[in-house]
Amino acid sequence: MTVECLNALSQSALLFFLGVGLTLIFGIMRIVNFAHGSFYMLGAFVGYSLARLAGSFWLALVLAPLSVGILGALFELGVLRFLYRRDATAFLMVTFGLALAIGEVARLVWGSQPLEVTTPKALSGVIFLFGLPFPLYRLFLTGAGAAVAILLWQFLERTRLGLLIRATSQNAEMMHALGTDVRLVRSFVFGIGCALAGLGGVLAAPLVTASLGMAVNVIIDAFVIVIIGGMGSFAGSILGALLVAFVQIFGEYYFPDFAMALMYLVMLLVLVLRPGGLLGKEA
Amino acid sequence: MTRWRAALSPSNCALLGAAALLALAPFVLPVYATTLATEALILGLFAMSLDLMVGYARLISFGHAAAYGLGAYACGYVLLHTALPMLGAIAAATLFAGVLAIGIAWVCTIATGVSFSMLTLAFAQLLYAVAFRWTSVTGASDGLAGIPRRPGPFGLALFDSRTGFYYLVLFCLAAGFLFCRALVSSPFGAVLRGIRENEAKTKALGYDTRRYKIAVVAIAYALGGLAGALYAPFAGFANTELLFWLLSGQVLIMVIVGGAGTLVGPILGAAFFLLASQILSAYTDSWALFFGLLFIAFVLFAPEGIWGLLTSRLVRPKARAATPDAAA
Amino acid sequence: MATEGRLTRRTVLGATATAVATPWLWRRAFAAEPIKIGMPTALTGALASVGQQQKRGAQYFAKLQNAKGGLIGRPIELLIEDTAGDPATCVRKAREMVERDKVRIFLGGMTLSSEALAIVPKLAAWNAIFMSSDDGDGRLTASDFVPNFFRANTSGPMDTRTVALWMRASPLKRFYGIGMDYAWGHDSVNSFEKLVKSEKRDFVGSVFSPIGTKDFSSYILKIREAKPDAVFIVMQGDDYVAFLTQAHEYRLSPKVQMLTSIVDLASTRAVGAAAQGLAGSTRYCYSYDIPANKKFVAMWQKAHGGALPDVFEGEEWQACEILAAGIAKAGSIEPAKLRPALETVAINSIKGHVAMRACDHQAVQQGFMVRVVEKPGASEPALDVIAVYPAAEVTPPCRKETYPD
Repeated sequence: MTVECLNALSQSALLFFLGVGLTLIFGIMRIVNFAHGSFYMLGAFVGYSLARLAGSFWLALVLAPLSVGILGALFELGVLRFLYRRDATAFLMVTFGLALAIGEVARLVWGSQPLEVTTPKALSGVIFLFGLPFPLYRLFLTGAGAAVAILLWQFLERTRLGLLIRATSQNAEMMHALGTDVRLVRSFVFGIGCALAGLGGVLAAPLVTASLGMAVNVIIDAFVIVIIGGMGSFAGSILGALLVAFVQIFGEYYFPDFAMALMYLVMLLVLVLRPGGLLGKEA
Repeated sequence: MTRWRAALSPSNCALLGAAALLALAPFVLPVYATTLATEALILGLFAMSLDLMVGYARLISFGHAAAYGLGAYACGYVLLHTALPMLGAIAAATLFAGVLAIGIAWVCTIATGVSFSMLTLAFAQLLYAVAFRWTSVTGASDGLAGIPRRPGPFGLALFDSRTGFYYLVLFCLAAGFLFCRALVSSPFGAVLRGIRENEAKTKALGYDTRRYKIAVVAIAYALGGLAGALYAPFAGFANTELLFWLLSGQVLIMVIVGGAGTLVGPILGAAFFLLASQILSAYTDSWALFFGLLFIAFVLFAPEGIWGLLTSRLVRPKARAATPDAAA
Repeated sequence: MATEGRLTRRTVLGATATAVATPWLWRRAFAAEPIKIGMPTALTGALASVGQQQKRGAQYFAKLQNAKGGLIGRPIELLIEDTAGDPATCVRKAREMVERDKVRIFLGGMTLSSEALAIVPKLAAWNAIFMSSDDGDGRLTASDFVPNFFRANTSGPMDTRTVALWMRASPLKRFYGIGMDYAWGHDSVNSFEKLVKSEKRDFVGSVFSPIGTKDFSSYILKIREAKPDAVFIVMQGDDYVAFLTQAHEYRLSPKVQMLTSIVDLASTRAVGAAAQGLAGSTRYCYSYDIPANKKFVAMWQKAHGGALPDVFEGEEWQACEILAAGIAKAGSIEPAKLRPALETVAINSIKGHVAMRACDHQAVQQGFMVRVVEKPGASEPALDVIAVYPAAEVTPPCRKETYPD
């Protein structure tokens, strides 16, 4: 039981990186980003290359999300920027197209075989819980998730930029009228969101290797987290990630036949009871 | 007199012309192109059914694959496990999708906006998860293979051949289109547009908007189910991919690429989607890259979709003003 | 426009070069219609790694064959198109190849068994022969058998059987099974369960993970609690790699012996250290020590920048050889003539003696058991063939997926 809980916690850390990026982007820009899973995948692949080039996983852990974030911000500047007056379906199509394009570029650059990212030496060990080995790296993931959550929370609460982001999320027009460069905030947030997805990708890579299938597999999980937690709600993405991870891990363990359906049932239930999500505003 | 003039309006003439061309197609096209055209028409019907929701009532569904998959599985199951002829199986599957949709719509319409979209997605994924596990009925991830085109009733084998099946699909699409067009220009359609523009106001006018929304979702699912039901005997098999969210995303893109709120546009969008992926993937392994870039280009440079491009070029400004839906 | 483009895209391998270089009599022979071979293949998607191997294998064979003057005096033209691993797309592409290009021969391709199962019912109507190079589902040569289908490759039940034969001589007592949650996974794990029980050993449980599972921790904990001596793994692609990585993370291996139904180079490479000690059956292994294979590996490495041929490249090569032998024997590609010719083909391939049998169109061939070992000084782990089982013991009875003993 304890071991399962620890597993679920490490899993929710990974899901949190995905969900929080998606929810931040939704909060500011009101768009559903179908390419989010592709940025996650890109994080893993770029992380692989950087780790090989620099010979250090830690360097890759910093640089890969950064480069993925920059790529995301550039996409916002180059394409999304022109679409804010348009309705939601335009974003849907553009990000869908982007996801297809990124997937193929990744295949051309890295090939179709999954690639190994070795766990850093310091974290490749195990600790013994009740006499049974438990991987250190999973504990590290949980810690990393908590650390990033606290940092982000402090950033949103304490810094001026964070305040701007929260305010823009509440009312973009008002902020624009008050003289804030809303466009800059948007590019920044989109970049941050993608970088967080990329960070999730690098961190997941030692567990699942870097592979092309990553993108399609995670995007729907990310959606479920954001919907359950509440679109645009920071705390909601934490709650959503925890809920989804626990439902998945315990579902697979106790009712493997219904594990997949269980997640969607929870999602349906939440939406029916609270259409805006658990911690979201009423939609 | 005015009725006749309206009936012979440029858009109607164009439609008649298109219908005539489609009816002649099997005589001119090589066989493989007829098969491809059949699939394009099936997808066209599927996309058009979604347009009823997206284009006319702004009910953006992320889970329309549910309709297609339900129709396909139901039709496939009936053809594999009962003695019902193909036409009967298709009709039963359509009805099945439509009736189930009433329940789905009742739940989904509790919410609006993005939450509505996400509810539809949740239902589709739930069905996907069920299909994945219910091996005895759905064949799990292997799907149902070897679905026959059974002749009947009374030994009627007209639609079993390649050409015959093409005409069956063309007939379904044409009937579906006429039905949808009548629907959107009826008072019912006016209420839908009211919901699209301003739901609160429509409600204030005394319309039970939710009931209208449930009705349009059920109709859209039934038509989507019809498309799926045609697909099963067309391809000869059905699998979980037909319920997967990827297909829901793709059909939404067909609608937008074609031009939402025009009924014809999404049909063109579906044909374009199928042909473009088919042709690109015959040229290069990297077809997905170009396909993706194509979507981005479409959004940036042709915001009103294929139908918007066609009408702005071909139809006089006056005629264009007469079809406000094309711009919406 | 379409025709021009399609020709550049298609692999009319070597045909032009040969036509220019040979006297006109030869050229006339080459003016004969090429043999079109359809290969709808999963070149993208989750099983792209397998599909790309099939493509490389077939292209290399066609290139060499065409350089030798083609087959029955006609050049080979491969039509390779991407299905993304989707059976619907696979059926569409295959149908188009039949209707547009008049294809009468399909070669795997059809990377997933589900693709093959969708195609097989249509072969009679299309009047086409299909030579599988990797489809493992036992039903294809049993309950779903059709006369126009041939399987050159080792099937799923044969993989399982090989592991079971090896198990007989091993001290392992308790077994657990994990498979991908679709036909191939269920099929193989269930038949393994039967084989374990018939050996009077303990089968302590099995579990199936949906395709695309990323986190295997719950499955691994379950396996750990059952305390098996060995786990039989029926997986491929991303899922397989993720499972092995995480099993190692939890130190399941080396305490528990990992047994895999198909050991390949690509996954072994991706898993790295976690693959040490892994054992299992494989369908083709580059290190199988017979002259025919040594020659093939050397040739392949020369043509592919030193890369070793992997499982599905070798299997593709063998499927091509069997198909070519059948066409040469029939002197035609007409299914009515080709089918009886293929039914009696027997060759000495890179996997040893392989014979197609008429009753269910399964190629009767040996089973290989390999182990992942670290070779001193090598940059990547190597595969060692640790046992070879005779074809008669590995191949199931006609139209069966199970074995009598």
